[in-house]
Amino acid sequence: MRSILTYIAVVSLFFFNSCEEKIDIDLNDSDPRIVIEANLTNEDRNQEILVSRTVNFDSPEFDQVDNASVVVKGSNGRNYTFTPAGNGLYTNNNFFVNTQITYTLEVSVDNKTYSSKGTMVDYVEIDSMGVTKENIFNEDYYFVNLKFEDPKGVPNYYLYTVSINDGPFKFNAVQNDKFNDAQVVTHQIGGRNDEFKVGDKVKVRRQIVSKELYTYWNEYQLTNPGSAAPGNPTGNISNGALGYFGISNVRDYTVTIADADDDDLE
Amino acid sequence: MNKLPILRILGTMIMVLFSVFHVYAQNKVTLSGYIKDGGSGESLIAALIKFPDLKLSSYSNNYGFYSVSIPAGKHAVEISFVGYQTYQDTLQVDASKQMNFELISTSNTIEEVVVSAKKEDGNVTSAQMGSLKFTMEEVKNVPVIFGERDILKTIQLLPGVASGGEGSSSFYVRGGGGDQNLILLDEATVYNASHLLGFFSTFNSDAVKDANLYKGGIPAQYGGRISSVMDINMLDGNNKKFAVEGGLGLIASRLKVEGPIVKDKSSFMLSGRRTYADMFLKLSKDETVNQSKLYFYDLNAKVNYKLNDRNTVYLSGYFGKDDLGYSDLFGFDWGNATATVRWNHVLNNQLFSNTTLIYSDFTYNVNVNNDDSDFTIASKIRNWNLKQDFSYYSNNNNVLKFGVNLLQQRIRPASLEAKAGSAVNSIAVDNRQGIEAAAYVSHEWKPIENLSIIYGLRFNDFMVLGPGTFYDFDQDGEPIAEKTYGNEVIKHYLNVEPRASMAYILSPRNSIKASYNRIAQNLHQLTNTTSSLPTDQYVVSSLNIKPQIADQVALGYFQNFSNNAYEFSVESYYKKLDNQIDFRNGADLQANKYMEGDLLYGIGRAYGVEFLLRKNKGKLNGWVSYTLAKSERQFDQINDGNWYAARQDRTHDISIVGIYQLSPKWNLGATFVYNTGNAITFPSGKYQVNGTTMFYYTERNGYRMPAYHRLDLSANYEPKNQDKRFNSSWSFGLYNAYNRRNAYIIDFRENETNPNITEAYKIALFGIIPSVTWNFKF
Repeated sequence: MRSILTYIAVVSLFFFNSCEEKIDIDLNDSDPRIVIEANLTNEDRNQEILVSRTVNFDSPEFDQVDNASVVVKGSNGRNYTFTPAGNGLYTNNNFFVNTQITYTLEVSVDNKTYSSKGTMVDYVEIDSMGVTKENIFNEDYYFVNLKFEDPKGVPNYYLYTVSINDGPFKFNAVQNDKFNDAQVVTHQIGGRNDEFKVGDKVKVRRQIVSKELYTYWNEYQLTNPGSAAPGNPTGNISNGALGYFGISNVRDYTVTIADADDDDLE
Repeated sequence: MNKLPILRILGTMIMVLFSVFHVYAQNKVTLSGYIKDGGSGESLIAALIKFPDLKLSSYSNNYGFYSVSIPAGKHAVEISFVGYQTYQDTLQVDASKQMNFELISTSNTIEEVVVSAKKEDGNVTSAQMGSLKFTMEEVKNVPVIFGERDILKTIQLLPGVASGGEGSSSFYVRGGGGDQNLILLDEATVYNASHLLGFFSTFNSDAVKDANLYKGGIPAQYGGRISSVMDINMLDGNNKKFAVEGGLGLIASRLKVEGPIVKDKSSFMLSGRRTYADMFLKLSKDETVNQSKLYFYDLNAKVNYKLNDRNTVYLSGYFGKDDLGYSDLFGFDWGNATATVRWNHVLNNQLFSNTTLIYSDFTYNVNVNNDDSDFTIASKIRNWNLKQDFSYYSNNNNVLKFGVNLLQQRIRPASLEAKAGSAVNSIAVDNRQGIEAAAYVSHEWKPIENLSIIYGLRFNDFMVLGPGTFYDFDQDGEPIAEKTYGNEVIKHYLNVEPRASMAYILSPRNSIKASYNRIAQNLHQLTNTTSSLPTDQYVVSSLNIKPQIADQVALGYFQNFSNNAYEFSVESYYKKLDNQIDFRNGADLQANKYMEGDLLYGIGRAYGVEFLLRKNKGKLNGWVSYTLAKSERQFDQINDGNWYAARQDRTHDISIVGIYQLSPKWNLGATFVYNTGNAITFPSGKYQVNGTTMFYYTERNGYRMPAYHRLDLSANYEPKNQDKRFNSSWSFGLYNAYNRRNAYIIDFRENETNPNITEAYKIALFGIIPSVTWNFKF
């Protein structure tokens, strides 16, 4: 037996490449289904509810519903009627939500009524906020960090929406405290699809929400192209309506992204 | 509850069968022993021993042991195994005795490539159906991705076996789930049979002797997974001389050392493999990159010791690990370990015993070390398995196999351990454990000349064990009651599994076969992504989770042409699946004590017809396989309770494999595959919420991915007339030769300028991939 092994060096031709391209897919038509987006907040007295219908995938426009009757009933006996403002939007300009009251949503469209119930939960104040820059695989990313103490012994659910440079608020993330109940927690908010850039005015809307609202957005957040079976997020409105009804305790935090050094969270 | 009734019934059955066999067995002598490779001492599995003038024949078992009953006297004997010179002799046998035979390999002289290692007409005459056997020699020339020959990828080219995805070593058999395949390495269960997220199988081809796949008519000695059995044997190690073998590839290198410890009595085999993609990371100047890790390694080891002609002891083990790390911020490693101790004991010329003790585990660890999130996640699944198997060779028309098996299964679900100062809480979830006690009896019987039957029964008692807290859930999956148990048996799941397979031989060239099997499965893997991940949760049957059960019937026609040069078979099957598992939307499977509340239970059915035409002789070898199949599931809470296609449902699945011996030095291979795309859920509508376009889904798996097709090429160059002691060869490969961009994922996104328009994007994983490997042997 030979005592020494001699290896030959091999010239590598190996390459590992993935690629993506736009394709046409023929998707089936679907029967329209009612969609209700009712997120009441304690930000001010102006409340908005949106009613629409699903459209086919290739439709260039969305289908807003303007003939609905929309009312929210408080457990204190007060009724708040929402008036149509066009484009599927229904508003009430004198409705301040309160943590002590249970609210019932009732939306009627074409003789069908969709309803839901909800209450507002207490706000969880933050201790501090800051911006951090992190280098991930040679790219710089900016994050807005909110530091706070999670209330002990109760499940808490956090919903973040973000507006960049006074643009519309878009969903960013939901968090729960399954792994950090009663801890001093930092929620790190990054751009979900649009990364934050130096000079951006970033407005983070932090909402303390119910489990139902968390579930709704968490299912949306978990759905990705690798999911075995994506589905419609589980909402809390009756009669098969898509969407959700939530009453959120909300604060906005505004920050301008500056070229900070890594990890300078105060 | 008492297990004794089962054992008593089994004992009585065996006694009755024994007494019947003894009547048959009179006035004959028994010849038994081992059939081995004369060059290396490796036992030969399923070698044929034949007495032409007596018109009888038999095969060696998984340890190379054979036993035949013949009238006393002088008889001609022929022993054959493909790839070996046929041994011919005349024996004078006056009394029962033990005789060992050694065959001489022809692999250095033979010109054509061997594809079938079976008896030439074995596919027609054997009662077993739905089974396929491969030796590594056959796998060698089939082109594969990265040039790493791989038994799990080669079996995906057979009818009824569907690939788990691009480049993946995972597979689906006859419409069953990915967790329904029992993968055994020297009888030890391998939980996660893949490396690097599925692109490599855990089976290092250097260490593997052969593999048997059963997709139907599964014999009674196997149990625990409902769709298939992949039984892989490791090489024993050369007991005549030292040998070294290895290979240097672009992705991985491997080295095997084997040799005698005591010549002709004891030998060892040690084989290792490691990838070195991470070596390139070291070249980077960036600290986070050059401190990152990305590799796997495998170690296979086996030692055997022949105490005497009647007793042999085998010790074999496997250890493999994958390691991924990003700087020191994040680490993720996972791996399998198995160990098997076996004692083969020849009680007498007709009774062969094998006692086995097996350990197997799979663990994964995640380490996160990031500012105030400093924690580890660890999970482990393991089993201890004690088996006692007997084979009783009563006469040439009757073989009785029976045994008992005690398997202890324990699962430590992912638990989170936070380090001091971390803003994360530790979470521990109860361990789950169970014991599966099984007993089986299987009878191989030739009642008349043209009929072969294998039938048997397997009894299986799964005991759900404490300690632990178990929960009850309402219809929506919310916990409504809990109960804590101590060290006790909480529940028995008792299953009786009949198995039967028969062949009616119409002529030496054609036969019809039929089979039925029922199998229960008590270990379930929960996967909610399209590819299985090391972090997939395993669960054992519990108060909520019932054993999965499959009933399968199959019918087939087998025909050989042109002096067995061509084999043709058509098999059809229908499979019924009970207690299948799926999830609620947004199921939380990790570190969740109420996880069982997120599970849904339903049923399944799969049916199809499989065609295989194989050419085994001549310069051109290979096969064409075609499967037409359907696999569906039904869950009350999914898809409005309607039946829907399982993800792995593929209507058409075609594989063509050709291997051509161009010259004594050059060997060419080509593989073409085509299959219908996986069933997948796409949106059928859209709507807007919170300024975001949401997709509206109406039907589970109501769409198809685009059809998949691919051509792979390979060439092996083996210079001849080299130094007699040193041999080397080159393997060249081209994966996806015409650079087809097969869709791996289809992603829907808003148009960047007009969010009202939604677009579909196709993401392809691999383009054309060349590979080269240098192999050596001395």
